[in-house]
Amino acid sequence: MLRHLFSKGCNGLRIGCQVGTPRSQVRRFLPLTCDGVQLISCRRLCSGHPPKEKDVIQTKEDKSEQAEPLDLDRWKVVMRSQAKYQEQKVDDGLEGSNDGSLDENGDDCKNSSSLEATRELVSMWRQAGKLVPQEMTEDELRTLSELTTKSSRKKYLKYLAIREGYKLSRKEKQAQKRAEKEATMKENRDGAEEGSDQENNQIPNSLFLKFWGHSFDRVFAWRSAQAMLFGQPLVFDFSYESNMSRREIENTVSQLLEVEGWNRRAIDPFHLHFCNLQPDGPYHQELIKRYSAEVWDRLLVTNTERHYVELFPKEQLVYLTADSPNVLHSFDHSKIYIIGALVDRSIQPGLSLANAKRLKLATARLPLDEFLHWEIGAKNLTLDQMIRIMLSIKMTGKWEEALTFVPERKHDGLHQQQTKPLRTNTTTRGFTSQGWREHADRPLKLKKTHEKRTFTSPDQSKREPGGDRIVGAKEKSTSGKRVRTSLKSNLENRKAADRNKMWWDDD
Amino acid sequence: FGIKLIFMAKKVYAIYLMEPPDRPLPPDEWRKLKESFGKPQRFDVQMMTSMFISESELDVAKSLLTFVAMETGTLSYELLLRYLTLCVSGGHDEEVFDVYDIMRESFHSLDTGATTLFIKSFSRTDRWKEAMNLLDEIKKVFTPSPRNYGDVISAAMLHGDTNTAWALYDELLEKGLSPHPETWCVLFTRAEHHQRLLGILLYMRNNQIYPNKMMANAIKTWFESLSSQKWTGSWTSPRSKGLCGCCGAELESIQLTAEEYQELKEKVIADVIQGRDVFKKTTPEELEHFKEFVRRKPPFDVVVDGLNVANVNRDKSKLSHTLLAVVSELKHQGLTILVLGRKHMLRPSMSWDRKNMSLIQQKAHCFFTDNISEDDPFLLYATLHSGYHCRFVSRDLMRDHKACLPDGATRRLFFKWQRGHQLVLDGFVAAGKRVQFQSIPSYDTIVQTTSDSWHIPYDDTEDRSTYEVPQRWLCLTRKP
Repeated sequence: MLRHLFSKGCNGLRIGCQVGTPRSQVRRFLPLTCDGVQLISCRRLCSGHPPKEKDVIQTKEDKSEQAEPLDLDRWKVVMRSQAKYQEQKVDDGLEGSNDGSLDENGDDCKNSSSLEATRELVSMWRQAGKLVPQEMTEDELRTLSELTTKSSRKKYLKYLAIREGYKLSRKEKQAQKRAEKEATMKENRDGAEEGSDQENNQIPNSLFLKFWGHSFDRVFAWRSAQAMLFGQPLVFDFSYESNMSRREIENTVSQLLEVEGWNRRAIDPFHLHFCNLQPDGPYHQELIKRYSAEVWDRLLVTNTERHYVELFPKEQLVYLTADSPNVLHSFDHSKIYIIGALVDRSIQPGLSLANAKRLKLATARLPLDEFLHWEIGAKNLTLDQMIRIMLSIKMTGKWEEALTFVPERKHDGLHQQQTKPLRTNTTTRGFTSQGWREHADRPLKLKKTHEKRTFTSPDQSKREPGGDRIVGAKEKSTSGKRVRTSLKSNLENRKAADRNKMWWDDD
Repeated sequence: FGIKLIFMAKKVYAIYLMEPPDRPLPPDEWRKLKESFGKPQRFDVQMMTSMFISESELDVAKSLLTFVAMETGTLSYELLLRYLTLCVSGGHDEEVFDVYDIMRESFHSLDTGATTLFIKSFSRTDRWKEAMNLLDEIKKVFTPSPRNYGDVISAAMLHGDTNTAWALYDELLEKGLSPHPETWCVLFTRAEHHQRLLGILLYMRNNQIYPNKMMANAIKTWFESLSSQKWTGSWTSPRSKGLCGCCGAELESIQLTAEEYQELKEKVIADVIQGRDVFKKTTPEELEHFKEFVRRKPPFDVVVDGLNVANVNRDKSKLSHTLLAVVSELKHQGLTILVLGRKHMLRPSMSWDRKNMSLIQQKAHCFFTDNISEDDPFLLYATLHSGYHCRFVSRDLMRDHKACLPDGATRRLFFKWQRGHQLVLDGFVAAGKRVQFQSIPSYDTIVQTTSDSWHIPYDDTEDRSTYEVPQRWLCLTRKP
């Protein structure tokens, strides 16, 4: 009986082997038929069968066994042989160029070896699949080796890799465009040869004059020149070199490029002064690098290393900073406004205010809270946003138009005008900016609850302290709505509520 | 295939999670899988990564490598690196030896990730000395990480080479790195050097490091295993009067010594109040005015941060009322009070009632800074100037001011002083309720020792914030 069992089992084995499955599957059959009996003993027991079958089974099994270890470690063999081949090549190459690199100075050797080591590191990181540039210049390598921590190196390499990626993709797009242009030109030429359309190559007739770029440039230049003689000055304060890192200075200069551009194209430009600009300082070097020296010299902007206090009388100067307690309600055409050329990537609060305090200048901030539902975001605006706001307010005198240049993500839109103002003195005062913010995302509900507002301040004052938190929250929200309306209606209330919302109030 | 978010090496990656096969496949089946995959160029690396995540068997990974080798004739560095991570995490150290030889032959150097993995794997085997060579290799480009050092130290300890282990540990400290708790655990479990291990405990004391539960266990075991001395350890909490819950010994006081106090005072004035630009927080005139004010007045017993205390209730319309309640309570206790605020508090309004403010000014000395100045530095100056006994009332954690201090030692001193002198209001200030303050501990939560005892506070929870201290201690006493 056992033989029958085993014959069945062996038949199963044979069928299994003929398919040529790997060892694990073969194993799977085994336990079904012979518990715990190994392959070898199975083979022994099958000896009663015709030798042909046994041989077939045996050879197939051997193959599947032997095929296995070879299969798994085949890659090692491949890699090792490849490595040997490469070594041979390298050796041959080395024999040829052996003598050149032996006599060097000790220092040079060390420097170059450390730079080489850094280059090695970068190339190995690239091979390991990390975000690292393909090629690096000597300067970049030097900056890299000066960085000490691993994360700072990785960040710098990531920045270089992304920049390289942009350049590559731009080159590819340019090549593509050039190819397409050539293709269309070729088609046109072919088309011209076929038909006799001469007009394709000439400028088409049109009713309207074409304005070329040069014409615009000339107009803008004349206007800027006029502004430099007769226009209102606007000062940019460049005294923050020691407070910013290299990257932040580069960002500042990018923003200044935009500032100059917007100013030039405005209808009534400012006369821009770049004060405290130290020659050969980081700002100056970066500006020349971005503008190129000739353009920088031709630029219709006054840049000086003198202080703005020396250039203008103190009564006329107003420093614009987000930390100031005074709000700028209307644009004064006789005052000279100062904006700090500062980027707040690394947040250092109160820098520009400190400057203004030191020089005892008047300060002001933009009326952002009066006109916008602020959501989240720093109230520090970038330089190009500032110049657009200043130009707009100078032209129109309307804050609603000027403050459209504040980024949309920071605010929820201008305050809606209310028809029924309600005077509530008690609840306006104790209002924190938190409630304000919580409220900013419910502008629609305002109109509905508008009607059912009740003046319940005495009840409120009894209920709030401590205990009833749910009630307290509701009261807060309704009181918030009341605050909003009263803000718009009553100037005094507005100022008072503002004062209570000052940042120094929430200690 | 699906997209999965995985947490690997402290970053969150979104990868195509493929289901790796559960058995080694022959090359033609791999080819089929690769063709059906969306991005064939990244197939190999991503499949290997999925294998690592799903902890596949080694054979399956090997079959993938064979397929790639036969297809393309070579294996990329990245693929080998992923394979290496799979081997190391699975503990297949012999395989790692082969991979090491192959990678050395095929590529002229190794990157930092591969070297770390090799160090980790070699340290588990007999070839741990090669791990030391790898460590030297890393040193050429970077400072090796504490984990690298830790692996080699553990290996040295495991194989009995204690001198190397301690030499590496010293090097680790010299480079200013902080050892991993696991390294300490290994040292405590295996090393015999009495003085060295006590040195570790002193390091923890000087850097205000608290061991975790595992390490505390190791320390206890070591102490109890000392045959020449009979130490007994127990887990306990301190009692309120500053006594150990288990042996009753008095714990170190939280008060600073005279020199520490003086040093802290100078550093606070120099770095927190003045800093690099005194205009950032105040003006020089105001500072001088305040210094003169403090000099004129008698030393204070408690300094109150007016705005912080007033805002403790949710009702923001009665700020002066809250402040008056707190000041009255402190006056009732017979203390000399200084209240710090800003000038807008003197302007009559709903929150700052004129009557309340005048009452406050009768009960306490007051100083009001400009509205745009910061009042916290003045608070710290006044408290420090008035002496050891003076405390301050505020809920502010003072972390931004602590960060202005120059080095770790001063910061830890500040933190110690803060814990011993900051009165925090407990709960809300209500009409009928008496004003309560949270209690200040009289003992310092730090590793401490006397001639025959060691008291070690340890972390038994995972989520202790940096401004909190552990509550559980390990008390080790010796029978003389």
